[in-house]
Amino acid sequence: MRDVAVVGVGLSKHVSKRRDVNIAELVWEAVSAAYEDAGLTPGEVDGVITGNMPAFEGVNLPECWGAGHWGTYRKPLLRITTGGTTGGSVGHGAFYAVASGLFDTVIAIAFEKQSDGDSTAGLNTVILADIAALLGFGVDPSLLLAFGGGAVGIAVYQASSYMKSSGCTTHHLDKVSVLCRTNAAKNPHAHLQQPGLTPDDVAKTDLMQYPLRFGHVCPASDGACAMILTTGERARKLTDRPAYIRSVASCSDEGALIGIGGSGTLNVDPGRQESCKLAAARAYEHAGIKDPRNEIDLAEPYAPFAHQLLMFYERLLLCDEGEAPAVLNSGSMEMAGELPVCPSGGVISTNAIGASALERIAEAAMQIMGRAGEHQVQKDVHKAVAHGWGGMVNLNVVAVLADTPRG
Amino acid sequence: MNKEVAVIGYAQTLYEEDADASREMLTLRAAREALVSAGLKREDVSTVVTATNDYLDGRTISNMRTVEPSGASQKDESKVEMDGAFAALYAIMRILSGFHDVAMVIGVSLASVYATYLPGIMILDPTWDRERGLLNEVSAAALQANCYMREYGVSDEQIASVSAKNLDNAARNPLALRQMPGLSVEQVLDSRMLYSPIRELNAWPATDGACAVVLASGKTAAKAEKPVWVKGVGLCHDSYLTERPLAVMESLKLAAEACYKQAGITDPASQIDLAEIHENFAHEELMAYEALGFCEEGKGGELIESGITQIDGGLPVNASGGALGANAVCATGLARIAEAAMQVVGEAGDHQVPGVKTALAHGQSGPCAQDNVVFILGGD
Amino acid sequence: MEYKEETTSIQGTWPLEQWRWKHETSVLAKKFLEALKDKKIIGLKCPGCGLVYVPPKPYCRCLSIPDEWVEVKDTAVITTYTFTGSWSFGGRLEGTGAPLVIAGVMYDGSDTQTLAILDGVDPDDVAVGKRTRVKWPENPQGGINDIMHSELI
Ligand SMILES: [Zn+2]
Repeated sequence: MRDVAVVGVGLSKHVSKRRDVNIAELVWEAVSAAYEDAGLTPGEVDGVITGNMPAFEGVNLPECWGAGHWGTYRKPLLRITTGGTTGGSVGHGAFYAVASGLFDTVIAIAFEKQSDGDSTAGLNTVILADIAALLGFGVDPSLLLAFGGGAVGIAVYQASSYMKSSGCTTHHLDKVSVLCRTNAAKNPHAHLQQPGLTPDDVAKTDLMQYPLRFGHVCPASDGACAMILTTGERARKLTDRPAYIRSVASCSDEGALIGIGGSGTLNVDPGRQESCKLAAARAYEHAGIKDPRNEIDLAEPYAPFAHQLLMFYERLLLCDEGEAPAVLNSGSMEMAGELPVCPSGGVISTNAIGASALERIAEAAMQIMGRAGEHQVQKDVHKAVAHGWGGMVNLNVVAVLADTPRG
Repeated sequence: MNKEVAVIGYAQTLYEEDADASREMLTLRAAREALVSAGLKREDVSTVVTATNDYLDGRTISNMRTVEPSGASQKDESKVEMDGAFAALYAIMRILSGFHDVAMVIGVSLASVYATYLPGIMILDPTWDRERGLLNEVSAAALQANCYMREYGVSDEQIASVSAKNLDNAARNPLALRQMPGLSVEQVLDSRMLYSPIRELNAWPATDGACAVVLASGKTAAKAEKPVWVKGVGLCHDSYLTERPLAVMESLKLAAEACYKQAGITDPASQIDLAEIHENFAHEELMAYEALGFCEEGKGGELIESGITQIDGGLPVNASGGALGANAVCATGLARIAEAAMQVVGEAGDHQVPGVKTALAHGQSGPCAQDNVVFILGGD
Repeated sequence: MEYKEETTSIQGTWPLEQWRWKHETSVLAKKFLEALKDKKIIGLKCPGCGLVYVPPKPYCRCLSIPDEWVEVKDTAVITTYTFTGSWSFGGRLEGTGAPLVIAGVMYDGSDTQTLAILDGVDPDDVAVGKRTRVKWPENPQGGINDIMHSELI
């Protein structure tokens, strides 16, 4: 297999409502920044992998009219969309494009302009089709929103079961929000920047639905991310320290809407996330990593809800199950810690949904390349893991990056 | 490409106007049959790439509930939101990378669940085109057809003869939806006008259906009973329909060039034994002849008149009936791959063309064939 | 954020009501709902891997088609839960004002879970792993609302 490396990363400014740009222009901010970061021009890229969550903007295949603005004129293009994991899947697609030998240099582009549409409506279309089935079962429609409406509806069940199994308390959730939002304050691309935030501040926010408070939940952002990947050989000519993607793996489990499809689901515990563990194990194996706990220097788990940062830290095999709350208390996850987690501020601070999972890979790459600026962690980052989560609580994508190729 | 990836199994569901089955069950049927065709079990598949579209399915993250019926449970699954032929290209990438050995590719949609042209309207530029209601997939294709016809002097009859050929071929394909044995050019020209010059029989029929293809690495495929090798692939995206000349399929031309280079095709008309073209509209098949190098630019009309692309001609095109015979969006291009492979294996039954060694399959996505992908398949 | 220039928005539409969906549940649902009238919960067992789906599901992860009806108990184990006050994502819940406790429950004999409301239960008393029993209405109507309510045992 060929070596694949990241040589350039670009992010747009992320805020709630980017009224000053349209979708194509928003994406161009990230794309042009990536070209600049890589020292390449659009003409030097020979393929494009792109994706977003189209229901959030109310547009189908937006690259049909948008891609013309991204320097992709008459290039090969693949659109890959998988919900919350879209960005990760786009990153994986770009990896495979280069690894396959069919393409040498590709750009991965993922974005979401949530303010263009109605994200709650977008999320509800996740289950509208299933609701149609449920009505066939005679369910009272007024209760459906409480049962599963929107992502929060799913996340609360997941949080409850995770907290039960791990001993994580709401106090830990408060601390996760503080960790991420204070890190975000150092990241110019982050959306919710809250320097000086305290756990008490978070605990005082309104209860959304037990156990999650508003302070534990991501914002809805407008934003885009682009990443340029090329062969190891070309990467070494472009930069002294490329970020090699050693492996990618994804795993799909059954939809875990807890039977809301009227069809039952085996995914009885949405907190178990077996598919994340499987994806992580496969990715580490392909990357030649035998002992992730000691070998991984930095993690970017996809955690739009506070409990998920801890849950996925465990499911990414970085500690034993149930241990993450203690790891959080130890300070090891902080920017100056032993295994910094989400120095970018994570998804809980910035969530342009389709872009978020690509941003995890991009942030890990920036840390390895030493290009993270103010939120560059103190330690030398040799190996990092980037994760994405989505679907009906059932899709997980994992990428392992390093400062050296697989060897 | 030299024996690196092969098609080792394929299956299509019956194409219907209003299937008495859900998307999930169509997916399940196609997946199960494709595994039987490949002589494999679910456990042998390491990655699944589905092709569905959130707007066609009326649900965000349209691949969510297809995880189990596609056999992807706890496997490395992804979704290409384009035609299944593009998903097949992604699966090929995954295999060529060395990370995966056997890939299942599935495209599925049910036209009976969506208002026929609505998902296509949702593709249009939301600022300038969508809300004005002038453009949809058919009216856009009509603009393209007129542009092409005027540029090269192609006649209505020449375009109608594509429909007559494909729908007559469809009558030999038991899975096709629109089977019209002995259809004449006159009958096509008498069919209902949609948007001039496009008539009902020049346009794809709204279809429910699914197609699945199993691909494998060279090592595994060598052990398969009937591997059909992927000799070349090419892919290209064009500008939005209002920003490019519509009389030529430039992105198909570029995709074909890349594909031919890999496959060692220098004279497509003589080296290719059969082609399965994804023609959403009859005129697109003529445009594709030109872009694929079967004839010179502007000579597509003459080529169909020559009879070469008839099922008993020298270069049969769409012996299956093509997209005019059945078009389950997202499955159509993938079905071209399945049909081309079937012809190489010699399993096409009544629509089998004798002696097919090298076959071309084409898939498209986006309004006016904005994205194109081309494959060359061969038996050895 | 400061905008350099005035921006323009163009309103778009998305007629979602023009989509309809197809599910196999109709036939399966009928049988499942009929059984509820007799205060019985039935599920479909997969011939390939033996998993029991409640409510019934027409396809299985192992690519087999579940086809054997089996009866499960109306007692269950809580797999997860949440509770909410008067506010819920996407809309206001009308009701008594008491917290609404919703649990994921797996009926004994089933391998899947579904949701139920735990009536009159203090949120502090709910826990993953606790057991519940369906509170059947006096005259079940043959709708899934018949098993909408459960109590702790
Ligand atoms: Zn089974």
